[in-house]
Amino acid sequence: MKKFVVFIAKLLVIVVLSAVVLDVLYTMIYVNSSKRNKIEYVYNSKGKNFDVVFMGSSRTQNHMMAKLFDEKGIKAYNFGMSGSKLDETALLLKLMLERNYKIKNIFLDVDLNLNSNSKSEGTKALYMPYLHCSETIRNHYKTEASYNKLLYIPFYRYIEGDAKIGFREMFFSLTNKKSNALDNFGYFPLQGEGRNMKYDLSDYKPKRNFAYEEIKAICKKNNIHLIAIATPMCPECQSDAYFNSIKSVYPEVYNYENKVTDDKDFASCGHMNVDGARLFTSIILNDFIQNKFH
Amino acid sequence: MFFNSLQFAYFLPVVFLAYWFIPNKSKTSQNIVLTVASYYFYSCWDWRFMFLLLFSTLLVYFSGLKLEESKAEFSRKFWLWMTVIISLAFLGIFKYYDFFAVSFAELASGFGLHLDPLLLKLILPVGISFYTFHGLSYIIDIYFKRIEAEKNFIDYFLFVSYFPLLVAGPIERATHLLPQLKVKREFDFEKAKEGIYQIIWGLVKKVVVADTCAMYANAVFDNYNSMNSLSLVLGAVYFAFQIYGDFSGYSDIALGTSKLFGIDLLKNFDFPYFSRDIAEFWRKWHISLTTWFRDYIYIPLGGSRGSKLFQIRNVFIIFLVSGFWHGANWTFIAWGLINALYFIPLLVLNRSRNNLEAFKISFNLESLRILFNILITFTITCLAWIFFRAKTIHDAIAYIQRMVTDLHFAPQYFSFERYNYEIIIMILLFVMVEWNNRYKIEPLSGKYSWLKVSLSIMAIVALGIFTDYKNFIYFQF
Repeated sequence: MKKFVVFIAKLLVIVVLSAVVLDVLYTMIYVNSSKRNKIEYVYNSKGKNFDVVFMGSSRTQNHMMAKLFDEKGIKAYNFGMSGSKLDETALLLKLMLERNYKIKNIFLDVDLNLNSNSKSEGTKALYMPYLHCSETIRNHYKTEASYNKLLYIPFYRYIEGDAKIGFREMFFSLTNKKSNALDNFGYFPLQGEGRNMKYDLSDYKPKRNFAYEEIKAICKKNNIHLIAIATPMCPECQSDAYFNSIKSVYPEVYNYENKVTDDKDFASCGHMNVDGARLFTSIILNDFIQNKFH
Repeated sequence: MFFNSLQFAYFLPVVFLAYWFIPNKSKTSQNIVLTVASYYFYSCWDWRFMFLLLFSTLLVYFSGLKLEESKAEFSRKFWLWMTVIISLAFLGIFKYYDFFAVSFAELASGFGLHLDPLLLKLILPVGISFYTFHGLSYIIDIYFKRIEAEKNFIDYFLFVSYFPLLVAGPIERATHLLPQLKVKREFDFEKAKEGIYQIIWGLVKKVVVADTCAMYANAVFDNYNSMNSLSLVLGAVYFAFQIYGDFSGYSDIALGTSKLFGIDLLKNFDFPYFSRDIAEFWRKWHISLTTWFRDYIYIPLGGSRGSKLFQIRNVFIIFLVSGFWHGANWTFIAWGLINALYFIPLLVLNRSRNNLEAFKISFNLESLRILFNILITFTITCLAWIFFRAKTIHDAIAYIQRMVTDLHFAPQYFSFERYNYEIIIMILLFVMVEWNNRYKIEPLSGKYSWLKVSLSIMAIVALGIFTDYKNFIYFQF
């Protein structure tokens, strides 16, 4: 039995060592990578200046052509992240400020995310490599039930988020493979026209959102002009009831939901294609230039 | 409590310590520890099923004693058939009742009769097929006087409920397991070490190979209508490795776990994908079930005696029953039938026992022929797996039809941000490791064992799927 105890002890050492070595290796690779997603781009940059920043979910990422702003001499970037909820958006904003970003205006797409206070595990995973390096990220997740495990158990955070920051993503980061997340000033174009588009919003109800309120407070404190908007859904969605009721919870939200109404401008019910995005961004740009958001 | 869960990682060391360090260690105290642990293990799924297991155990235990006491043939037959019928009735009600009710209603609607069948919608108790067969082999063996009825109920309870094999086998025989439970086990370091190696390799098969393949196989099978020929071929291959990694991985963990308690279980897999024909495949796949069917159905039916027609009938029966054992769905029956069809030519040509001996590969024509046969056997096995995996027979046929008619071979991108060919490298590596170690129980022992163990642990930690860990496929049977 003594031999067996020694044998098991050796195995446990291997397990712990493997986890530590892998954790250090993965973290090193992610911390030094800046070409794969917007979080690592922000983490690895410092002191950037923007006139306009777009933030939110895929409905920002696929709808806001920051380049059109840039062409008008307005320095802009689309920081929308597919799958992100307002909680992760708030963290991205905090990370930007930690990195000394100077931002004048933020367009924040809040619409569907006001339906709940839920968080995105997928987007959270993308923050995990920086847990030990960024106080902002640590503070943000301090109240999470799994915080101690994520922080203290080596490699646990990579196991938790293996779909997003597992071996494959690590390998691409290691080999410096560029992703398309950072092309086109952060805007990701969708192609084609959607068919049989439907999106049932009958169960949706806007609620008080703590992450949104945190973003508002951060912007106020840092003198950033926050413009909260709702962006278009396909005409079949019959979303008027939901989008109109947003105003009753947060009157400051600008409702652009019905500004693009042609089916041909949508790739899916919740996402406009490249033509729809161009049309929509032009409307926003026009209103921005005409100072309609003050 | 799955073998690949954290719960099991806590449970196993506790049972191990209680088992080896119990005061006044004796065979009885060891068996009590394992029996209590086994019932706790089983109750983790649903405590109510414990009563079903208890009933099944008591039924077979007392019937066994009564059968042995009986002198008259009528009485012996009564105890045998009563036990068989009640055991199968439970299995039938839980596993097959709804299937038969729906199938009968569908058949009746074909004749213009509208029936609204009463469905029970019962949850299938985990492992019911396994412990039912366990009990059946025991009572049949007593009837044929191959064994004596077990008098010690603790030993018998443990024989039926022993947790490493309780929910997905291997289906043990009283002749193999009971004698081991009748003696006090002494700790054997070499055996325990072998057990740990087997557990580690089983985990590699399950969480690295099977669960990764499952992601891809599910993506292909669930969307086969939009997949091209290459994806559909790969989908079938991925499923073949998913089910092999899943079930043989489970068996490795079960056998390894059992070795930690000084008990050997029956080998369940013997590198089946390196088989040279379908007969050899069935001698190497789910061995404990195949031999069960052979000993308790095929041989009593006459086996390979009698005319060819008679033998063909027996083969069809055995494969149909095997298909049906796997689940109440026509897809499993079709899978069994297809395997029977594969087997018939070998039987007719008297070649079903051609490939009994081990083979060696070198640079000659004979080796090329062997490799070609292995490839053909694997291909037809994959085709049959399509029926096993598809939701309906229609889906399986449509899948194959699209696979052979689409004829587009460009790599396809999946919604879970993966291309469908990335995993091939991992499968090839896995096949190489298995091939080089095909005469061993597991590939980790021997030269450089610490290096191999370290690499395996690294693979489990870095490549394993934990967040969304899948059930073992055979738990549903």
